Amino acid sequence: MLDDDLTIILTAGLVATAAGLLGPFLVLRRVALMSDAVSHAVLPGIVLVYLLLGTRAPLPVIAGAALFAIICVLAIEALRSTGLVKSDAAIALVFPALFALGVLGVTRYASGVHLDLDSTIYGEIAFAPFRTLAIGELEIARSIVLLGAVALCNLALVTLLWKEYKATTFDPEFSRTIGIPPALLSRLLLIAVAITAVTAFESVGAILVVTMLIVPAAAAYLLTNRLWAMVVVTVAVGWVSALGGHAAATALDASIAGAMGLVAAICFALALVASPSHGLLARAVQRRRRQREIQAALGTVAR
Amino acid sequence: MGWLIDLVPLDYSDAVVVLGAMLLGITAGAVGVLAVLRQRSLVGDALAHAALPGVCIAFIATGAKDATSLLAGAAIAGLVGALLMVGIERTGRIRPDAAIGVVLSSFFSLGIVLLTYIASTDNSNQAGLEKYLFGQAAGLLERDLAVMAGLAIVALTLVAIGFRALKTTLFDPAFAGAVGLPVRLLEIAMTALLVVAIVIGLRMVGAILMVAMLVAPAVAARQLAGRLALVIPLAAVIGAAVGVSGALLASRAEIPTGPVIVLVAVSVVIVCVLIAPRRGVLWRARRLARDRRRILAEGVLVDLETAIHAGPPLTAAELALASARPARALRRALRDLDRAGMLRRDGERLYLSQPGAAAAHAVLERRDLWAAWLEHGSRLGVPDAREPDPTDLRASLGDEYADRLHALARAAER
Repeated sequence: MLDDDLTIILTAGLVATAAGLLGPFLVLRRVALMSDAVSHAVLPGIVLVYLLLGTRAPLPVIAGAALFAIICVLAIEALRSTGLVKSDAAIALVFPALFALGVLGVTRYASGVHLDLDSTIYGEIAFAPFRTLAIGELEIARSIVLLGAVALCNLALVTLLWKEYKATTFDPEFSRTIGIPPALLSRLLLIAVAITAVTAFESVGAILVVTMLIVPAAAAYLLTNRLWAMVVVTVAVGWVSALGGHAAATALDASIAGAMGLVAAICFALALVASPSHGLLARAVQRRRRQREIQAALGTVAR
Repeated sequence: MGWLIDLVPLDYSDAVVVLGAMLLGITAGAVGVLAVLRQRSLVGDALAHAALPGVCIAFIATGAKDATSLLAGAAIAGLVGALLMVGIERTGRIRPDAAIGVVLSSFFSLGIVLLTYIASTDNSNQAGLEKYLFGQAAGLLERDLAVMAGLAIVALTLVAIGFRALKTTLFDPAFAGAVGLPVRLLEIAMTALLVVAIVIGLRMVGAILMVAMLVAPAVAARQLAGRLALVIPLAAVIGAAVGVSGALLASRAEIPTGPVIVLVAVSVVIVCVLIAPRRGVLWRARRLARDRRRILAEGVLVDLETAIHAGPPLTAAELALASARPARALRRALRDLDRAGMLRRDGERLYLSQPGAAAAHAVLERRDLWAAWLEHGSRLGVPDAREPDPTDLRASLGDEYADRLHALARAAER
């Protein structure tokens, strides 16, 4: 039996780990907003499960949501791979369409039933300690078990296919010539994102997942030029946000997910300003130095 | 706006919704092009989230759910968020999608924290604040139409006045800066236009419809036209058409308007992506298949021509053996040649007819010319630096150069 605060921090940390393993690849492939698209696109899955099975129990709902999350990412990938639509536009076309399908389903067949995203799939991290599973003698929060499993799967995916993902992320043409299929790997990555997102929505709510998939990775991208370092820094920033956000939320009596998101945003802002290689300060100093060098060079020529 | 509503042969409330959808389609279509071409399609989605802290702060400041102040708060927060996006991108390292994502999640997180703060102050007015901003297309009022019409006129006028400057800034900001255009100012103006259009759209029709209406007409128009001067008006027209047809369909079937418009818009995009002339997936596939078929037939024609010079005319089976082509492909090529009247048959044996022989010679001449171009083209000194068209070299080089190429090739053979 874990302490409540510890459960919340551990849940958020596991979200940070699971998302942090995938986030860098999303940011590098310029599809960072995939997570936000998935958060809307799961609605028809929930509606479909309700219409077919008449239930709002968590497991079938997660399965239905995951199905449509996967449909969403694959549709985006298919639209993008025609080469006619940029990835951001593809995202902005697919998720409204799926969400609209879900809304139509609700109003046409399930009106009167309370079926919206907030109540069915989007959990609240503050409630994580109260939903527990018994494993043998041990009673443990369900979110920790689920998210731990997802984080392990992501770790396995990223470590086993590390070389392949590195090649396809930075140079898809090159990886095709050496026999690594970029489209297949891209689809696999996006499916992992979809499953991670759906599992985490149920435990901690949508906005924290979207934040953890984008903001730490963007901050890490400002701090390092090496892929492995970027992944490590991303996970670290995620954990810092989890710990700092929980502390801030307790101190201010504010929303935990919101506070964690804000701490992540502060980390990003710090990186943007103070990163030694890509930060605003470092670049201003560099610009000043170059200006002085050029002036000195011009001065010697003039004399 | 009364006369306009009377023009639509529908009952009053449906007419208002149809007109509103049309006006929104025009504005969103036109300004959406500016967002889509800069890979900021999701800016509508981001601003829908970024407006939340603005609404909260306006509520905290005024203590009441007053429509004007909440909308102003949303617009200011949206503008701050959009400028932050531009600022983050300008630092160079972070790409538009990540910048949008960062702004979206940080602003929304701030909004959630502010919401919990408001909840703790026990103001009984606060219920539904997070949903306040988002309207529904079916709930449009006549008053909204006037706002939307004004917005459409302002947006179209601004785009038309600043067209050249906007175009240059969109496609080549560095060049625009070098020729003295106020790039930053233009970027801020474009962003502000987007923000105003989005915030008003959000309040009237909701977030999801706004995201789709910004992107779908622009993407569809881009498939159909290759020039910005055509893409923008086309996007406005597609937006209006999608809005009207979606609203009509929804009122006929008695289902919610917003989702139907979204689905109609996305279907239009899918159709355009599939069959747009010269770009569409199916269009390109058909052209590829036709080219393959033509090249196969030409190859078989040349095989027959060379075989006739080498010995007795071949049968189809012998041709298959000699040319090492798959039997099905060969049968198909022979059928095509037959249909074009290029073959003559004498029992089993295949001869070339008069036009067939002429076509075979033309193909061989083309191949020779191309080989000569690859080997001796550099010595020709063609004044035009562009690569000539390999499918019809003689037409793109001109007869004079083609004859000189042949002469060069013959000289080299000797």
